[in-house]
Amino acid sequence: MARPRPGGGGARRRVQTGAQATAVTRPRGLTIAQAWLILLVGLAAVAGSALLALTSDHMVRPRVQALLSGWVTTMFLFSGLVAWWRRPASRFGPLLLVASAVWVLGTLQRSNQPVAYSVGHVIDMLPPAVFLHVFLAYPTGRLERRSERLLVVACYGVAVGLQLLKVLLGVNPDNVFALAEAQAAGNWVERVQLVCVGAMLVAGAGLLLVRRRRETRHDRRRRRPAALLVDAFGLALVMLAALYVFGLFGGPPFEAFRHLTFVALGLAPVAFLIGLLDARLARTDVGEFLIELRTDPARDLQPPLAKVMHDPSLQVAYWLPEYDGWADKDGRPLPLPGSDSGRAVRIIRRDASAVAALVFDPSLEDEHELLDAVEAAAGIALETARLRAELRAQVQELQGSRARVLEAGRRERQRLERDLHDGAQQRLVGLSLELGVLGRAEQTDPETRRRLARLKKEVVMSLEELRDVARGLHPAVLTGHGLPVALESLAARASVPVALDVEPSLGRLPESVEVAAFYVVSESLTNIDKHARARSAVVRLALLDGALVVETVDDGDGGADTELGTGLRGLADRVEALGGRLQVWSPKGSGTRLRAEIPCG
Amino acid sequence: MRVAIAEDSVLLREGLTRILAEAGDVEVGAAYDNADALVQWVRTFTPDLAIVDIRLPPTHQDEGMRAALHIREHHPEVAVLVLSQYVELGLALQLLSESADRVGYLLKDRIGDVDEFVGACRRVVAGGSAVDPQIVSTLLRRQRSHDPLGALTPREHEVLELMATGASNQGIADALVITLRAAEKYVSSIFTKLGIPSTRSESRRVLAVLRYLRA
Repeated sequence: MARPRPGGGGARRRVQTGAQATAVTRPRGLTIAQAWLILLVGLAAVAGSALLALTSDHMVRPRVQALLSGWVTTMFLFSGLVAWWRRPASRFGPLLLVASAVWVLGTLQRSNQPVAYSVGHVIDMLPPAVFLHVFLAYPTGRLERRSERLLVVACYGVAVGLQLLKVLLGVNPDNVFALAEAQAAGNWVERVQLVCVGAMLVAGAGLLLVRRRRETRHDRRRRRPAALLVDAFGLALVMLAALYVFGLFGGPPFEAFRHLTFVALGLAPVAFLIGLLDARLARTDVGEFLIELRTDPARDLQPPLAKVMHDPSLQVAYWLPEYDGWADKDGRPLPLPGSDSGRAVRIIRRDASAVAALVFDPSLEDEHELLDAVEAAAGIALETARLRAELRAQVQELQGSRARVLEAGRRERQRLERDLHDGAQQRLVGLSLELGVLGRAEQTDPETRRRLARLKKEVVMSLEELRDVARGLHPAVLTGHGLPVALESLAARASVPVALDVEPSLGRLPESVEVAAFYVVSESLTNIDKHARARSAVVRLALLDGALVVETVDDGDGGADTELGTGLRGLADRVEALGGRLQVWSPKGSGTRLRAEIPCG
Repeated sequence: MRVAIAEDSVLLREGLTRILAEAGDVEVGAAYDNADALVQWVRTFTPDLAIVDIRLPPTHQDEGMRAALHIREHHPEVAVLVLSQYVELGLALQLLSESADRVGYLLKDRIGDVDEFVGACRRVVAGGSAVDPQIVSTLLRRQRSHDPLGALTPREHEVLELMATGASNQGIADALVITLRAAEKYVSSIFTKLGIPSTRSESRRVLAVLRYLRA
């Protein structure tokens, strides 16, 4: 967590800029007039195409064909308009409209007019390529993967290039663009073209299948519409492919299959509409979400938000201006992902200041209504949660600073002990040695000798006192030789026999942990000496789940103050500052047990 | 006898060198301020005694102790005397864990009692041990509920204390101004009263007594 900086204004300014960088802006989409215009033009084209069919002099069953191709065109037209309207940011809507237009233009070959007929014939094979493009480009309208782009470009090449070659070779003598009369060669080109297109469509269906696997792996709630879409698209592609191959080699009743394929093609955008509708249905969950929030306003918002947005990966971050950063619900730092992280971020504000940020899957970015609804519903709850996060961050900071204060004190005392050892103690030992040597010297008279002996005694007593002071400052033996050795001395000084039970694999631990454990045992043994009237005590040290567990048990009177009212409070402070805890059991008449768990991490 | 010293305080290093040199038959072969140099020298010249300060550079933690244990393990013919500003039972037990032969662990304060200190040096070189009286007195201070120590006479108490610091029977006799035979009688009486299996080796009984007192 960043330390609070002076000047809240700076922090606030940063929120503003941060928010601007990540805020979702709504792209300008269709106007109503444009939508109506496209719809009218499209319907007119459908009608014109039907008219061409009915008046055609070279079509079999013109009415059925007019109906089916009208169905496909209209479905793509409607779906394209709805998609463009609802998802202005996505190119998918316009792409559907293009598909619809290409399909209508292809029906020009129904015309009795030679040029129109010829143009229609030239773009005859364009629709399958466009369909492949549309289906692979769902939902963004862009081909995200290299494999998809390659496949679509190749398909366009085969659909347009070979078609042109075929026409020029004169596969159809009526075409005004025919240059040669190599009909046999043209037929070969046609076979190659149909097989290639068929294969590419099947490959496209394969890519869709792969994507379906990938996209529905994590997200069960989104699986239904997504799978439905992919199935519809894939089915249409496979049927188209089969259609071309059957056309080449003959197969089941060709006409009936062709009609079925058209029906499936028209249904594909319907599946897309259902997908859209499902997203709208999701918004009705927001009501449930609101009720949930009302029944338990203090709950963690992440699970209900993830549920309502159908995104298990959703994260909620809260803005803590005091710390100039984002944090999770417990006040732990949670930096927002960058723009290249593949995550979308929406910042939720109240009165122009940031409250929280939702970090979610970018596929939801287009669902503006859903996001708006969630933001409106969660607003107050998020604000409450933000305050809670802030409080927790402060508690953590307090705990951290308590640990730092203790640690700084410990280091200072350790330094003092060291100074004492290398300075005064060393010098006094030197002095006592000097006095000892003088006292032995032969020329020293008895009176001086006595005085020297008295002085030496004084020095030795000073050394005793200094040793006690040094030991009180810092247990040097602990730093130098570890807990087992240091505890041995504590046990030796205790007034009752103390059994030490130290895990053999204990090894050296972080110094703050060792010191805390040492004082826990030291204080416990002092209490046992003073109050417990015990006959013996046991000290146990073991590692359990990354924490050092220190336990002292005596067989004394029990009934000690377990509210940590007295000397134990300081011990509890020391242990808690390291993120551990201290517990005391002391039933009257059956001894006292003290247990400290100190995390070693 | 030949002595090697590792002590980082110049004052003490020189003082030690001087009092040992003045003792007559002692030759201070080397005096270093760090443990590595001492261990190196001991490896080459195998002195009779190595005197090691427990806190030595670079970290002033357990360098001296490690050097002492190393010498005890790899050069058992060299006696080791560990000096420290504080004495800890845990360290004493570590030093004496294999045997109490040729080993001493004393407070630095004891250097001032020159004769006793030199005596302790001679005792460990001769195969005995020297445990600081402070360790023994700490252990003896402890109150015990069913205390077999209570069955000892005051004189036996004194003998026990001397025995635990590594004094020989003759040493006990000298310290208490009694005859050697009297000292031996006290010793065997103490062993009987405390229920410690008696041992003829004077250094082995140090360990036995310390362990008894600690339990």
